Amino acid sequence: MTTITLVALAIALAAVAGGFAYFLPAAATALQETGVAANVPSPSPLSTLFSPSPSPSLSPISQGAFTVLLLGSDDDSKFSPDHVLTQSMILVRVLPATKEVVMLSIPRDLYVPLSTGGYGKIDGAYSYGSAGAAIATVQQDFGVHVDDYIWVGLLGLIKVIDAIGGIDVVTSNPVMDDYYPSDIYGNSPYDYQRVAVLAGPQHLDGIHAMEYVRSRHSDLQSDYGRSKRQQQVLQAIRAKAKQLSPSDVPALATAIGGELKTSIGLDKVARLVPLAASFDNPDAIHQVLLLPPYARSGAPGGSLTPNWGLILPLVHQYFP
Amino acid sequence: MISKFLLAVGLAILMAVTGVSSYVYLGTRQSKAAAPIQKPTAATPRAQAFTLPGTIYLAQAGALYSFSAGRFHQLTPEVGWTQPALYPDGSHLLAVKRSGFFSDVFVLTPYGGVTAQLTNNAASPRNAWDTGANAWSFYPRLSADQGTLWMSYDGPKYAGAGYFDVDMAVWAVPVGAPIRNGRAWTTANNYTGGDMQPVPVPGGIIYTKYTYDQNGNRTGQLWFTNRAGSAGRALTSTDASCAQPSISPDGGSLAMICTYQKQVSYLTIASWNGSGLGGLRTLITDQLVAQPAWAPDGSGIAFLAPGGPAAPFQLWFLPKNAYNPPPPSPVPTPSPTPGGPHNGALPSPTPSPAPVAPVIKPIQVTRNLGFDATSPLAWLG
Repeated sequence: MTTITLVALAIALAAVAGGFAYFLPAAATALQETGVAANVPSPSPLSTLFSPSPSPSLSPISQGAFTVLLLGSDDDSKFSPDHVLTQSMILVRVLPATKEVVMLSIPRDLYVPLSTGGYGKIDGAYSYGSAGAAIATVQQDFGVHVDDYIWVGLLGLIKVIDAIGGIDVVTSNPVMDDYYPSDIYGNSPYDYQRVAVLAGPQHLDGIHAMEYVRSRHSDLQSDYGRSKRQQQVLQAIRAKAKQLSPSDVPALATAIGGELKTSIGLDKVARLVPLAASFDNPDAIHQVLLLPPYARSGAPGGSLTPNWGLILPLVHQYFP
Repeated sequence: MISKFLLAVGLAILMAVTGVSSYVYLGTRQSKAAAPIQKPTAATPRAQAFTLPGTIYLAQAGALYSFSAGRFHQLTPEVGWTQPALYPDGSHLLAVKRSGFFSDVFVLTPYGGVTAQLTNNAASPRNAWDTGANAWSFYPRLSADQGTLWMSYDGPKYAGAGYFDVDMAVWAVPVGAPIRNGRAWTTANNYTGGDMQPVPVPGGIIYTKYTYDQNGNRTGQLWFTNRAGSAGRALTSTDASCAQPSISPDGGSLAMICTYQKQVSYLTIASWNGSGLGGLRTLITDQLVAQPAWAPDGSGIAFLAPGGPAAPFQLWFLPKNAYNPPPPSPVPTPSPTPGGPHNGALPSPTPSPAPVAPVIKPIQVTRNLGFDATSPLAWLG
C-alpha cells in the first residue's frame, strides 16, 4: 500500500515538475515584465483645469470597466534605453458589462503640457519620465484615469505577431513609402528603405505588419492615417490571439522577452484572458481618432494644436 | 535492501519518464495558429483532394509555383517572385521579382526559366544613395497581341527629389522597349497609392483606382479607360470599395472583391458589356476573399482565402453552379386519371415538394500553405 502511494505521489510530482518546466520561461518573463508599476507623479495644477468632475456613482455599464494606455515606441539604437518616444499612444477602455471596447488614438504630435513640466509633443512624455510621465501627461491633459499601461517596442510588436503566426488584415489602399526608417535590421538607424504594402486582404508577418502600421510619409492623413492602421492591426492581433491555447504561452513569452512592459499583474492577466476571448462582436469595438478639427497643424516644430474645447467632451463621452 | 534500491531506481526512472512526457504532452497541445506554413511541394494534396482543370500559377514566400492535376511544382527559388501573369498564347509567363528597394518584370518559361527582363527599376549606381530613385513595377499583363506590357509603375524617379508621395499609375510600354518609350495611361490620385492591377479588355483597360470618398476615407474603385491620359469612368462606387478585377474567359463577366470599407472582403461578380458593368452580385460573404480568377473552361472561380480564422491564405474554388445554377427540371404535370371521365370530385393531387436548390459551398483545395494574397492567380486552360 505504501509503495503504491509512493509511486502515485512520484508520478504526480513528476507531472507537475514537467508542467512547471514547460511554463518556466513564461513564468520568468511574466514575473519580469508584468506588474511593472509606473511611477505616476502627483497631479499638477493643470490637471484640475482639465479633469472632469467626478461622477457620483458607477453606472451599471461602468461596473468593472478599466482603462489601459497602450504605448508603442521606437527603441532602436538612436535612443538610449527607456528614453524613447512613443510613436503610438492609444487609450483603451474596456467595458466588461457590455463587452464593448473603445480605442482612442492620441496623435503623437499633439502639443500639450507635459507632466514633467513645460510644453512639448506628447510623444516626448515617455522619454522624460518613462511610463509614469506618459500616464500622468495623459491623465492631466485628457482628464481621464489610467488604470494600467502596456509598453511595447518595435521589435516586440514584430515578435508578438510572428509568435502568433501572423495576422490577417484588409488594407484599404497601397501603403507606399520611399523614406521608411531602416532602423531595425539595417546597418545604421538613420538609413532609409522603401516600403510597398499592397492593397487588399492579406496575411502579414511581423515585419510587414510593422511596415504597415509605421509608414506615414505617403499618407495625406499622416499620423491620423497611421493611427487608423494601428487600431486595425490591434484588432487583427486580438482576432488571432483567440486562436491560441495556454500551451502557446511559453513560446510567446520567449518571443517577446524584453520588448514588453506592463503594470498589469499576473493575477489580472489571468482574469483578462478569458474576458478578451468573450469580446467577439466587431461592432462593439469603437475606434476614435482625433482628426481635425480636434487638432490642427501649426504648433511649434510641426506639432499639432489640440482643440481642448472639442477633445474633452469627446473623451469624456467614452472615458467617463 | 536491494529491493529498496530497485524501488528507488524504478521511481527515478518513472519520474523522469512522467516529467518528460508531461512536458512533451503540453508541447503537443499548442494551437495550430502559429504553425509554420508548408511549402506547396511538401504539402502533397491528400488523395481525395479536389483537382482543378488546367494549370494555376501562384506565389508563396517569394517563389512561383504551378498547380496542375493536384500537384505543385516549384518554378523559381524564394527570391521575391510574385504576381505571375500568362502570355495570351500561353507560351510564357510574366512575373515580378521584388527586392527591398525596387521590383522588375521578367519573362519566364512555363517551367520558371527567365528568358528576358522587361524593366530596369533599380536606381543607377550614382543615385544609389537615394532610396527614392528606385521604382516599383507591379501587376504586369500583356495586351492580346502580346506587343504591349501593361503594369502599375511609380516612375520615372529623379534622385534627390525627396517625394514623400509615392503613387503608382497604369503604364503601357512596348514589350522589350525602355520605359522612356512607355506612356502613363492613368493619373493617380495623390497620397492614395495610385492605380493598380490593370486588366486589358477589348477597347481599353479595367483597373483599380485608389481614391478618397466624400468622408476622406481611402477606398478602391474599379475604373475603365480607353485612351491614354483620359480619366475614364468609374465602374463601381467608392462605398462598395471594389478591387482586383478579373475578366471571364468569354469577356462577359467581371469577378472582383468588394470590402465596403470594412475588414471584410466579398467575392462579387457583375456582367460586363464592353463599356459598362451590370449590378454587383455578391457570392461569398463569410470569407476574406482575394484575387478571384475565372476557370478557363468556365467551370468556376478560384480565389485565395484563409483556411481558418486569421490564418494564412489557401486556394479555394467556387463551382459555377454556385452562381449560375442549372435551370430547374420541369415540374411534372399530373397525368389524367386512367379509366375515363371522372364525374366526382377531383382528387386533390399529392403536393410534390418544391425542388430545393442545393447550396454550393466553395471547395478548399489546399491546406497549411500560405499563398501571397496580393499576387493574382494566373490560370492556363
